[in-house]
Amino acid sequence: MAIGTDRYASRADTLLFIACVVLSIAALSLPDQWRDPLAQGLRQSVLAPFLFLQRQTELLAAARYRYDDVVAQRDSMALAATFLPELRNENARLRSLLGLGQRLGTGYVTAEILHQPEPTNPLSFVVSAGRREGVRPLSAVVSPEGLVGLVASVDEHTSVVLSWAHPEFRASAIATDGSVVGIAAPHGAEGPGVWLLELQGVLYRQQVPTGTVIVTSGLGGVFPRGIPIGTVIGPAGEEKGWGRTYLVRPKIHPAELSHVMILTAPPRAGADLRNAFTAPQDSSTLTGNPPP
Amino acid sequence: MRRTDRYRYPVIITLLVLLQFTVRSHLGGDRVAPDFLLLALLIYTIKAEPGKSAAAGFILGLLRDALTPASFGAGALAHTLVGFASSWAKAVFFAEHVFVKGCLFFAGTWIRNFLVLVISGRLQGSQVAWELLVWSPLQGLTTALVGIGVLWFFRGWLSPRRAGATV
Repeated sequence: MAIGTDRYASRADTLLFIACVVLSIAALSLPDQWRDPLAQGLRQSVLAPFLFLQRQTELLAAARYRYDDVVAQRDSMALAATFLPELRNENARLRSLLGLGQRLGTGYVTAEILHQPEPTNPLSFVVSAGRREGVRPLSAVVSPEGLVGLVASVDEHTSVVLSWAHPEFRASAIATDGSVVGIAAPHGAEGPGVWLLELQGVLYRQQVPTGTVIVTSGLGGVFPRGIPIGTVIGPAGEEKGWGRTYLVRPKIHPAELSHVMILTAPPRAGADLRNAFTAPQDSSTLTGNPPP
Repeated sequence: MRRTDRYRYPVIITLLVLLQFTVRSHLGGDRVAPDFLLLALLIYTIKAEPGKSAAAGFILGLLRDALTPASFGAGALAHTLVGFASSWAKAVFFAEHVFVKGCLFFAGTWIRNFLVLVISGRLQGSQVAWELLVWSPLQGLTTALVGIGVLWFFRGWLSPRRAGATV
C-alpha cells in the first residue's frame, strides 16, 4: 500500500467511520443484561489468551520478587537450624502475627489485579481468579486494610470487580461500636471529597465523631460483618431532611493494590470478621515496620 | 516493494500488543505507563485509510471496554474517533517527521482519555481535572516517547519507499 498524499477520506471511509460511530453509540446504550454477556464473551474468547499472558507475566514477576526473599529465608534457616527450639518459638510468634489470610481461615482466594490504562480502571477492574478458583458473583473483595469492592461478573479464570469507588457501589455499614448504621456509598464528585466514601442515612439525632471506624454490617447477605470500610472524617456538607451524611476516608484506594483476596465462602449468620482485620492494624506488620 | 513488506506492520503491531500484556504493568504507575495498544492503533493509522483506521479503533475500543466495563462503549467510540482523526490528519498534513509523529501519539493518547472521560461521564469535577491535566499528559508523554523509540528502532521498516528503490 502506498503511503501517500492521495489518501483523504473517501466515501467508503466516511461510511465505515459512521458505521463504527453508530455501533459505538449502540454499545454505549446497551442495557446491563446485554452488555455484561457481551463483555464476558469477549473476555472469554478474543481476550482470553491475552489475559492468560498477562496473568502468567504477573505470576512470573511475583516469583522473581519472591526469589530474593526465598534465598534470604533459606540462608536464615540454615543459620537458625542450630537453634531449633528458638526457631519454633519464633514461628509461634510469627504465626500470631500472620496476616489476614490465616485469620480468615478458609473461604478465600488471592488474585492479582490486571490493571488497565483507562482512567476508569479504579472503578472496575479485572482480577486473575474466576469460576475455576471458586469465585462467584457478589463475592466480597478485600485487602488486609479493608473492603475493596465486590465481584460483578465471573469468567473461567478472571472476574470483574466493582470497587467501592464505582457509582453503583453500596454497602450496609455500621460503626465498630454498633452505635451508628448507614449505607456506605462513593462520594465521588467534587473538590476535596474526591475518592472518598459517604456514610448515608444516619439518623439526624446521631452525631458521628471524627475518627469513628466504619465496618460492614453484614446486612443484605453480600458482605460479611466486620470488614473495615473507612474512617469518618466529618460531615458531608449541610444536613438535609431527617438524615445526616458523613464523609468516610476509605481504608485503601483501589489503584494502590496489586493483589486482593476474594471471599469465596458465603457469609455465615452472625460471623464477624472484625478481628481478622483489626489485629494487623494494631500490629506493625501491615505498615512494613519490623515487629517488636 | 518487497514481498516481506506486507508483514512489517503486523509484526510491529503484534509486538506492541504483547508488550501491553507483559511489560506494561512493570513500567511504573498504571496511569503513567505507556499505552502500547493505543500506540499500535496510531502506528496503524499512519499507514491505513481513515475508514479502516476507524474500524480498527472501534474493534480495539470494544475489546478494551470488555476489560473496563465501567465505561462500556465509551472506549469504542473514543478509539473510533481517534483512529479516524489520526489517519485523516496524517493524510492531510502529511509530515514524515518523527517529532510530528510523536506529537500525534501524545495528542492521540490525551484525546482518547478526554473522550473516554467525557463519554463515560463516570468521573467529575477535580477528578477530571487531575486526569486531563496531570495523568493523561504524563501517559501521553510516555506513549509518545515509546512511539518515537519504536519508529526509530524500526525506521528501516516503516520509512516510505520510492518505487524501484532498493534497500
